[in-house]
Amino acid sequence: MNVKSFFVATLSSALDLGLATPDDVLKHVTPDLLAEHLPRPLWARLLTACLGAPRVDAQLVVDTIGVPNLCEHVPAPTIWRCIEDIGARALGGVASVAIPAAPAIVTRTVPAAPPKPLAVSAPPPEEKKKPAAAAAAPVPAGPSIPAPTTGGATDQPAEHDSSENGLAGTPLRPRTATSQRFRQTNTNIGRLAASSAARRPQAAVPTPVAPVSEPATPASHVRRGMTESDLEMETAIAPATNDDWKSALAVEDEQLIDWSGSEELTATNENDPRSRKR
Amino acid sequence: MMESGLEHQIFAPADVLAHATPDVLASHLPAELLSKVLASSLAAGAMTPERVLETVTPELLAKHLPHDVLWACIAAAAARAGVTR
Repeated sequence: MNVKSFFVATLSSALDLGLATPDDVLKHVTPDLLAEHLPRPLWARLLTACLGAPRVDAQLVVDTIGVPNLCEHVPAPTIWRCIEDIGARALGGVASVAIPAAPAIVTRTVPAAPPKPLAVSAPPPEEKKKPAAAAAAPVPAGPSIPAPTTGGATDQPAEHDSSENGLAGTPLRPRTATSQRFRQTNTNIGRLAASSAARRPQAAVPTPVAPVSEPATPASHVRRGMTESDLEMETAIAPATNDDWKSALAVEDEQLIDWSGSEELTATNENDPRSRKR
Repeated sequence: MMESGLEHQIFAPADVLAHATPDVLASHLPAELLSKVLASSLAAGAMTPERVLETVTPELLAKHLPHDVLWACIAAAAARAGVTR
């Protein structure tokens, strides 16, 4: 480390750029210091220059001695004080204030110390309002594996995708238990072949002796566009899914309808205003 | 002798500094005197032989400078005045 070369470069550039003047140099490099540390040949040169010059000023002294000779012979603390003052003035006095400002930078880093949790592993902001529920929730198994919850909210691909698509910083909506999206497995078409115990009650209690239509539809109402005959057909289909469908189909003769003599039905259709339009 | 020659204008301050050159002054004057010479010159804005001799008095010259230098100054002034003939 060559401090003197650094001083020479700094002071020379400061003088060349106008950041410093020779008077600034002689404020610190006083004639006493020059007389004490400057070699006598340099003093002779200085005296010669001063005696031959019409005007003696700091510019003449600095130019005659030279910055390298000043930095070489004058003590380094003196040169440093000169450079320090020049720098402080060039920066508008900031340099001298910057030393007490250094601890302030350190204290600014302290509030930034607590790391911001990741979006996946961190609980949502709304869950912080419920510390008891958050404490009961198990720790997530991994960064991309959502924590198991008792509310059945594990099947939420939307939140999982948002955390993996770079939206980790955005607050997520709280996980709420959603309704069943898909039909349960015991309600599909294979339920009939799987087991007969999972049937609905109306199919599980067949009464071969009882009439088919009336007990199976206790709260049936005729809706718009329907006739009572449609309801009877619906209720008649339901017992057909029974195992002992043969017994369900066994009806008495009294329940049979003579369709050949159904003139009444034809007459009612003619009275229907909708059929008149057609 | 130096003080008398200056007082009676046998030689002038410039004649003194013609022998007591800057090299001689820088080589023999003490540091505090050099500092005073430079400081006074900077304060006045010029360095003249009169101002140098105001700081470096004939007594100080005789004290610090070699005597042969001072004698050469006196001898040269006497020769100019025709006293040596």
